[in-house]
Amino acid sequence: MEAVVVDAGSKLLKAGVALPDQGPALVMPSKMKLEVEDGQLGDGAVVEEVVQPVVRGFVKDWDAMEDMLSYVLYSNIGWEMGEEGQILFTEPLFTPKALREQLAQLMFEKFNVSGFYDSEQAVLSLYAIGRISGCTVDIGHGKIDIAPVCEGAVQHIASKRFDIGGTDLTNLFVQELKKSNPSVNIDISDVERLKEQYACCAEDQLAFEAIGSSCRPERHTLPDGQVITIGKERYIVGEALYQPHILGLEDYGVVHQLVTSVSNVAPEYHRQLLENTMLCGGTVSMTGFEDRFQREANLSVSAICPSLVKVTSLPFPRSVWSLVTLPSFLQPPEYMPENLTRYSAWLGGAILAKIVFPQNQHITKGEYDETGPSIVHKKCF
Amino acid sequence: MYGGDEVSAIVVDVGSYSCKAGYAGDDTPKAVFSSVVGSIEQTGEADEAKAGTASDSKNGAKPMDVDKAKTKRKLYVGQELEFRRDHMEVISPMKDGTVTDWDIVDNIWNHAFKQRLLINPEEHPMLIAEPSTNTGQQREKAAELMFEKYKVPALFLAKNAVLTSFASGRATSLVVDSGGGSTVVAAVHDGYVLQKSVATSPISGEFLTDCMMKSLESKGVVIRPRYSFKKKEVSPGEYKVMDLDFPNTTESYRLYCMRAIASDIKESVCRVPDTAFDEVAYANVPTTSYELPDGQTIEVGADRFKIPDILFNPSLSQTIPGVDGFADSMSARGLPRMVIDSVNRCDVDIRKELLGSILLSGGSSSILQLKERLEKEVLEESPGNARVKVLASGNSVERRFSVWIGGSILASLGSFQQMWFSKAEYEEHGVSYIQRKCP
Repeated sequence: MEAVVVDAGSKLLKAGVALPDQGPALVMPSKMKLEVEDGQLGDGAVVEEVVQPVVRGFVKDWDAMEDMLSYVLYSNIGWEMGEEGQILFTEPLFTPKALREQLAQLMFEKFNVSGFYDSEQAVLSLYAIGRISGCTVDIGHGKIDIAPVCEGAVQHIASKRFDIGGTDLTNLFVQELKKSNPSVNIDISDVERLKEQYACCAEDQLAFEAIGSSCRPERHTLPDGQVITIGKERYIVGEALYQPHILGLEDYGVVHQLVTSVSNVAPEYHRQLLENTMLCGGTVSMTGFEDRFQREANLSVSAICPSLVKVTSLPFPRSVWSLVTLPSFLQPPEYMPENLTRYSAWLGGAILAKIVFPQNQHITKGEYDETGPSIVHKKCF
Repeated sequence: MYGGDEVSAIVVDVGSYSCKAGYAGDDTPKAVFSSVVGSIEQTGEADEAKAGTASDSKNGAKPMDVDKAKTKRKLYVGQELEFRRDHMEVISPMKDGTVTDWDIVDNIWNHAFKQRLLINPEEHPMLIAEPSTNTGQQREKAAELMFEKYKVPALFLAKNAVLTSFASGRATSLVVDSGGGSTVVAAVHDGYVLQKSVATSPISGEFLTDCMMKSLESKGVVIRPRYSFKKKEVSPGEYKVMDLDFPNTTESYRLYCMRAIASDIKESVCRVPDTAFDEVAYANVPTTSYELPDGQTIEVGADRFKIPDILFNPSLSQTIPGVDGFADSMSARGLPRMVIDSVNRCDVDIRKELLGSILLSGGSSSILQLKERLEKEVLEESPGNARVKVLASGNSVERRFSVWIGGSILASLGSFQQMWFSKAEYEEHGVSYIQRKCP
């Protein structure tokens, strides 16, 4: 039986059987409605509350997670009680040890799986492209992870994680739209779709400043009939990742963080990391994002990451050449499915599942029973 | 007695230059960040504080005469320090290797636990690495802070030298820890530091960085801090550097940024010369080029060898214009001299064993050729039949974190679990009990 790969993100949960030629079979929002029978209201009214089990990449609500997973595994993927198979989970950077143990515990004790493995999303995204070394920039809904990976090992000392993501961009978009359309009542769930449709990135910082006056406003009709105009707000959303002070944060933009992150790794890897940079995550599919990233990176690399210049052994004349490396982005191979950047962690998980489970490198039920949840730290990295 | 279940212990090592924190059992710390913090005065006393620290020495320590009532300040730790802010001073919690400002250390611990490791300190026993010269009062303060504020279930304080010794698998060795703030030579015998053998010297990574900076300045090189310029693409492939002006940036922050660059220069180009540095002999040595962040290329020649040789010959630093002299000439001895003095203060029986296992640790020990040169110099000055062996792990990451790694090993040993100083014992016997529990 094939293993199942689950990538539980803050916005979307991707799950499916591990067949790397295809994308995840199930992509659903990781949101649930909690129906509570409120007897106090007399007529048995039901209070609905939206629950998000995964917040900023980490599982916060374990009961909701359990319910969601049983829906995914039993109803959707088609597992049967008593005949559960093997499962591979993905996790973001800097997951606390306690969380990994809890997940392993949930899987083995509630769901009775026969095999379990979990791995960091950064490494999996690189596997999806066919590399084991490189730098991943994962801009998701709840968090941004920047992780240099050398030979399959995430360099934790140099990695960074930020608690900003698509959700903050959505909030920003709402704020900006409310400012320019004060009379219109905008619902936050509509804004997600609006953001995906309209948000884009200016070419560089100067172009962004010029756009204020020259942007062509568009009119959009909301589902409830109201009409709003979207002008320079669409560029503000894209700019926020490069100038975080727009979001109210005192920090440098995402490209600067990438370069400082790489410069914290041993110098012999710098070139390889910069030349194999991968952008993934939902937010990356914004129009103009990659070009802007590349342009900023070209500017920053020689400014932030000084390169050691080698001199020839001749005393004179010295020919000095500098190893200025320009970051270049990885293109996915043609045989991989479309939309790779959105599901790269899942696809990498599918690839990894094909190696880990047949070779018995995963945690089996017997091992879990013997050692307890802490075995996850010893076997999965 | 703390009989914890399978909850991982946390190992924290706050040094003068960088702070390392992570789970016991791991092979590298998960959180590594700078020990210095940025501080912005909240009340109107900002000008007074600036005037006080502007005349300060290289490590930017806050003068101790600022009373508590005025210091309502906002501290920026770790990542936050990297972002340039107006009026932000850079201050260090340590002076000469010991903690002087516990408020900053508190903030550093908080940042490590809550923002980097994402753990709740109440659930994890803590192993704290302390300097080999730590006083009883400092240990009590640390224990009090940990138990009262963070409510840890158990605590242990271990000396840096002992942890380095464990990291290499030895119970007896002479540990030469050349870190950012100071160099400490200590003899460890059967897992205990021999206090009489401990020697410290202010010559360390930061001092060498300062020498490098002053030396470059005297040669006319202008190091531009990273925040003070911006690159613009004039035409495809061609870049122009524009200066940005931030008048409200404090001097200490500017120095901090410049030091970061000088430190990188030092780490990239320096190597220890095979013999003592001689100004005349090295005048014509081929230079190495280095590209500064703003694009200008500098040539580093004799300085490549001169700066690391300061470790062996501190008086060389006097030849660099602008470097302060040492008030106490006794504390400024060369490294081989410190090693020999330290060994000679130990019992005769163990001297041979100590000389045969000299361990190098700390960031500055990663300078190329340091091991070979130290071995040679100690061999020259030691008694005739002694076998001198300097050991250093080949991996520079391991050398930098060897104290932390030793802590990680110690805290995950089965036989160590009964040695924790638990919260119950703290409540029963009081904080001074720690002297007995953690030797």
